[in-house]
Amino acid sequence: MAGIAISIYLTAVHYAGTPLACPTGGVVNCEAVLSSQYALIPGTHLPTAASGIVWFAVSAVLWLRPFGVVHAVWSGIGLLTVLYLLFVEIVRLGTICLWCTAAHVLVVVIFLIAIT
Amino acid sequence: MRPEVKAKRSQRPAVRRTPAWVAPSAVVVVLALIVAAFLIIRWYNTPLPVGPPPVDTTQRVVATITTLPASEFDAVGQGSANNTIKAVTGAALTGSTGKPEVFYYGAEFCPYCAAERWPLIIALSRFGTFTGLQTSSSSSTDVYPNTPTFTFRSATYTSQYIDVRAVEGSDRNGNGLQTPTAAEQQLISRYDAGGSIPFVDLGNRYALNGATYSPNVLTGMDWQAIADALKDPVTPQSKAILGSANLFTAAICRLTSNQPSPVCTAPIQALEQKLG
Repeated sequence: MAGIAISIYLTAVHYAGTPLACPTGGVVNCEAVLSSQYALIPGTHLPTAASGIVWFAVSAVLWLRPFGVVHAVWSGIGLLTVLYLLFVEIVRLGTICLWCTAAHVLVVVIFLIAIT
Repeated sequence: MRPEVKAKRSQRPAVRRTPAWVAPSAVVVVLALIVAAFLIIRWYNTPLPVGPPPVDTTQRVVATITTLPASEFDAVGQGSANNTIKAVTGAALTGSTGKPEVFYYGAEFCPYCAAERWPLIIALSRFGTFTGLQTSSSSSTDVYPNTPTFTFRSATYTSQYIDVRAVEGSDRNGNGLQTPTAAEQQLISRYDAGGSIPFVDLGNRYALNGATYSPNVLTGMDWQAIADALKDPVTPQSKAILGSANLFTAAICRLTSNQPSPVCTAPIQALEQKLG
């Protein structure tokens, strides 16, 4: 639920064009990350955060079922996406988005639970 | 086999399964290693701060970018610049001499301001003359670190067509530098509510929040290399910087009723139609 809430917030801010509650001007700079070319799903005008809403929503549905391979695969997809986004933030942009990091941590926690 | 030996073997504990904490711990360690690898790659690829060029080099670079032929601009057109200059409404903004004013608000640490000063200086230099421009570079700890640029902190501008007012709010390290007047602060609040910099107000008819191209285009280059790249209309730097300069030029030509005519050419007037 927290992941969905964060993703909805970031998506809403993207479309509303309002400033984020986040520091700017240093290593932590949500605006620099979320206004970069990587903030959109490739080939679309949809913000990456929108895919976060879908991913967390599906995870919530899966949570209601007995743990199995589907959980591991789905959470693995989430983890790989997080690794890509971390690569973009650290290597390509050199700046970190706090809100994104909160969502990334939740994905990692879900993955760890799925494989335990 | 003796009975006591057999009994001993049967008392051996069963082989233990791997504890449940091992897999998650391994994943966390691997993730930490991957993040560390990303940090090392970033550190390895981050360009070192380029020292400011000697004064004569600065003058040569400024002379190069402010005397590009009109044919160069016409060949680039909009180039790869994003047309994010939007039309705004409000009382006409005029400067200290009563001419239409171009107001810039930015900061020396800001990489997007660093990128945008190139086309802004180039465009404004087609309508007048800058003096006192100094080389500078964006923060080394922000995104697109050490982007080469100029600063307006000590620059003055004269023109028979427009007035220019530039405010650099912070220096390269984020320390306060210049303060906009109350009237300028009202412009910022009205047309740049999100607080994005650079903010450029063109006579209260057009406004820009942010950059018209990515500072990534300038990564790894020094001032002279960028200036040299602008001599060729097909380089990525020309397409981005001169394309952006043409958008600024088109907006300013709207303010000056297409004067001077050698600047407000047919290709520029075509760009005017694309403005917000």
